[in-house]
Amino acid sequence: MIKITNLEKFYRTEEVETIALNKLSMHVDTGEFVAIMGPSGCGKSTLLNILGMLDDPDEGSYVFNSIEVAHFNERKRADLRKHNIGFVFQSFNLIDELTVFENVELPLIYTGVTTAERVKRVEEVLDKMQIMHRRNHYPQQLSGGQQQRVAIARAVVNKPKLILADEPTGNLDSSNGNDVMELLTDLNEQGTTIIMVTHSEHDARYSHRIIRLLDGQTVMENIMV
Amino acid sequence: MFKNFLKVMFRSLTKNKAYSFLNIFGLAIGITCAALIFLWVENEVNYDAVHVKKDRLYIARENQKYDTYVFTHQSTPGMMGPAIKAEIPGVANVCRTSESTNSLLYSYNNKPLFAGTLYAEPSLFSMFTLPFIAGNAASAFTQLHSVVITQKTAVKFFGTDKNVLGKSIRVDNKQDYTVTGVLKDMPANSSVQFECVMPFQIYWDNSPWLKSWGNNSLTTYIELKPGVDPKSIDKQLYGFIQKREPKNLGRVFLFGMTDWHLYNDFKEGVKTGGGQIEYVHLFSIIAWIIIFIACINFMNLATARSEKRAREVGVRKVLGAGKKSLALQFIGEALFMSFIAAVLAVILMALVLPAFNMLVQKQLTIGFGNVYHILALLGLTVACGLIAGSYPSLYLSSFNPVAVLKGLKLKDSSAAYIRKGLVVMQFSVSVVLIISTVIVYQQIQHIKSRNLGFDKDRLLEIGLQGDMAKNYAPIKQDLLNSGFVQNVALSDHSTIYGGNNTSGMTWDGKAPGSEILISQRYVTPGFFETSGLKILEGRNIEEIDTASKPIAMVVTQSLAKLMGGKGSALGKRIHYEGDTTAAVVVGVVNDYVYGNMYGKPDPVMFFSSSPEHTDRMYVKIKAQQPVEASIAAIQNVFKKDNPAYPFEYRFVDDQFNQMFLSEMLVSKLSRVFAALAIIISCLGLFGLAAYTAERRIKEIGIRKVLGASVSGIASLLSKDFLQLVIISCVIAFPIAYWAMHTWLKTYQYHIDMQWWVFATAAVSAMVIAVVTISFQSIKAALANPVKSLRSE
Ligand SMILES: Nc1ncnc2c1ncn2[C@@H]1O[C@H](COP(=O)(O)OP(=O)(O)OP(=O)(O)O)[C@@H](O)[C@H]1O
Ligand SMILES: [Mg+2]
Repeated sequence: MIKITNLEKFYRTEEVETIALNKLSMHVDTGEFVAIMGPSGCGKSTLLNILGMLDDPDEGSYVFNSIEVAHFNERKRADLRKHNIGFVFQSFNLIDELTVFENVELPLIYTGVTTAERVKRVEEVLDKMQIMHRRNHYPQQLSGGQQQRVAIARAVVNKPKLILADEPTGNLDSSNGNDVMELLTDLNEQGTTIIMVTHSEHDARYSHRIIRLLDGQTVMENIMV
Repeated sequence: MFKNFLKVMFRSLTKNKAYSFLNIFGLAIGITCAALIFLWVENEVNYDAVHVKKDRLYIARENQKYDTYVFTHQSTPGMMGPAIKAEIPGVANVCRTSESTNSLLYSYNNKPLFAGTLYAEPSLFSMFTLPFIAGNAASAFTQLHSVVITQKTAVKFFGTDKNVLGKSIRVDNKQDYTVTGVLKDMPANSSVQFECVMPFQIYWDNSPWLKSWGNNSLTTYIELKPGVDPKSIDKQLYGFIQKREPKNLGRVFLFGMTDWHLYNDFKEGVKTGGGQIEYVHLFSIIAWIIIFIACINFMNLATARSEKRAREVGVRKVLGAGKKSLALQFIGEALFMSFIAAVLAVILMALVLPAFNMLVQKQLTIGFGNVYHILALLGLTVACGLIAGSYPSLYLSSFNPVAVLKGLKLKDSSAAYIRKGLVVMQFSVSVVLIISTVIVYQQIQHIKSRNLGFDKDRLLEIGLQGDMAKNYAPIKQDLLNSGFVQNVALSDHSTIYGGNNTSGMTWDGKAPGSEILISQRYVTPGFFETSGLKILEGRNIEEIDTASKPIAMVVTQSLAKLMGGKGSALGKRIHYEGDTTAAVVVGVVNDYVYGNMYGKPDPVMFFSSSPEHTDRMYVKIKAQQPVEASIAAIQNVFKKDNPAYPFEYRFVDDQFNQMFLSEMLVSKLSRVFAALAIIISCLGLFGLAAYTAERRIKEIGIRKVLGASVSGIASLLSKDFLQLVIISCVIAFPIAYWAMHTWLKTYQYHIDMQWWVFATAAVSAMVIAVVTISFQSIKAALANPVKSLRSE
């Protein structure tokens, strides 16, 4: 599903140039659950943002579902993204002014789903995440674990082929963290490809494969058994 | 999608009430202000629009060329109108009228009332749009002693405008007139204004001087046939009078009705394109500036608050929102707020319209029956929304989702610069307005305190009515005996206005071919003392001078200089060209300002007159007497000595003030606008200061923990804003200087700008800014650091 070759990303500020990704190559197959690990600052988030087409690489190739997307413009990327990719962030990133229901509904609005269909699908996914009873609450009225469940609901409501999760358990205690990992595993078992950045060896064990980064390069791959 | 936007907007608006209030209220003030100005502009631009034939109606004007200038006026010879109609084929109709309305005394059921009366030929009713609600144009003036009145006048006379046709009303206690028509009241923005109109024939019969081609004392209106080019008529009018009177200076030309009100400014005999239209332009520009300032506020507050919304933008982009849909969302928000502001503005307008009407001396109405008004308000609202929403929407929708979700501080310096730039712009405008306001005020005060050469204070002008002229001697004696009056005299002209002048005089030593316009005034002895003119040389006018041969006269200093050269003018003689009857100079008084208050007055000749040939009385009230009591005492004298007429008087002081109406209007409006611009700017500054304080709350907390003082922090927060105000002053000074320099140049008699006006404006802008900011700064500085640090 994903194949990147010699990917490079630089950050230039006035004084220094940081190489966030240094000729990185890797691939992810459809249906895989991959964990990305590595020390702080090694380029994990940068990689995930590029994979999610939120950011573009400076050099190298990125093939998504057999399409070369490295040099897509913003509109094309947005188009591809909204139909194929769901995001889960460490800090949830829910919109404070919208209720649980409305937050989850948002991706459907952008892909142009009809109102009746939206209600059906949002309710379905809220049910699955067991936060149906909170549908009319605002994010600030929920616990961290509940907020992350809403975020995951929002990420999957469009039935994306790929879910990108950047430290999804980073702001949660271990029991809430485990719930989130169970949810992701379920989704994976139903066929969704998942790429997750994590600092926790415990969480990484849920995945099929761990890619370890150091200074913007892959240093090791562990296949889980 | 739209519903979703609405929801977010509503919730964020209600969540940030203070922000929403500042935004909407600022816009509402802007819209109110602009809408009021546009109402005024509409009224001005539609002047005379009621007259259906306005494109074909003209007034005949005359240029008279003198040595120093061309005098353009609209008095024309009485014989001219019918001659034009008979001889010039393109002319459809002509109407002669008296030059202005005369205040005549009407009495119905022994109730005496004055009403402004015009004398006009019957063509008045067909040329101008003056619909009859009773009677008709054809039969209105078939009889000599008939009068056509307006609805308002009917109510004034009879208490009703129903069934008044055929009523008889006594005029001047002498002659009965029949009401032969009632006209619909004319709108205030029509050039043709009167309470009553009588047949021109009456005026013609009583004014023998009208029959001369050399006497200009009535108004001639001309209607052209459709499609006739006024320029071709002008060619025929140029020498029209000279065909009868070869030496006459008057060159007649047509002045179109559509220009009467707005473009009534002539220089060297040519339309300058200026006039009231300049105020229309000026105020329109000001309206847009105020709208712009209000929009800037909106932009500023919206971008300042953008950090709070950055995450929303980021999330939406991650979920697939395009830049365009986000931009539309924010424009939509601005439009929505602008609509709320418009609703608020309508309420504000309804509240302040009476005050505004007082200010501009009009009866404007919001007029929602008028589709154009609705459309204009809608247009204004949409314009506001688009201008105000443009920059924020571009700015917000271009956020990089990766950066904002990572919580990167939006350092984006370009936005910060633009924000500062906007504040600088607002304050520049405010400072320009402050400076202009002060200078306009100073200039008007300057002119008003100009030494006019005569003393207008405590000086009363009373029109002569009934037998006042005949009984002048006893009336004067009674007035003096009352103890309130210092002096009394009569004159044939208002002291302060122009009128009755001639260039036909000559004297020994007058430069050949030079044309000098000299005013003539007929006064009774005591006139100089009453009006405070000083006799510089020779003697006063005396009663016997009415019969003296040669005629004795007193001249003003400037004429004395012309006649006397280096020596004295006393004893020099002056006479009409081609006439041997001479007048001799017996005295010289100082020059005094009349007619144009900004210019240099023409010379004046004073002749002694018997009371019968004057038409107004001047009464000087004693300096130490209270004015109210004096008026009462004077009124008592007239009640006793002239009982048939109501007592009416005017203060020369008021007449003087009347001459500055448009200047006063500019002065008052510029004060209001300056205040509004500052208020709106301050709303924005207040919001921005609040935002800055909030943004730096953590920094402030840390600084306090490290030992910074409250005053230190408050000044830290204020410093940046003060810099902006200083930059604004630097920008504003040259603009204000240039604008005021240009304006002052239009007055011959004007002030020089003083540096302290600029300094004061700068200081007051700074004080206003500091007061606005300090509330927020001090609040932030006083906040408990433990709280602000923990909440991060
Ligand atoms: N916007 C930016 N400007 C400059 N440098 C950046 C920017 N974003 C990331 N970097 C640099 O790129 C490198 C990779 O950053 P990235 O955020 O991908 O790290 P990470 O592996 O996700 O770290 P962490 O585990 O702490 O989240 C770091 O050295 C970082 O300093
Ligand atoms: Mg990271």
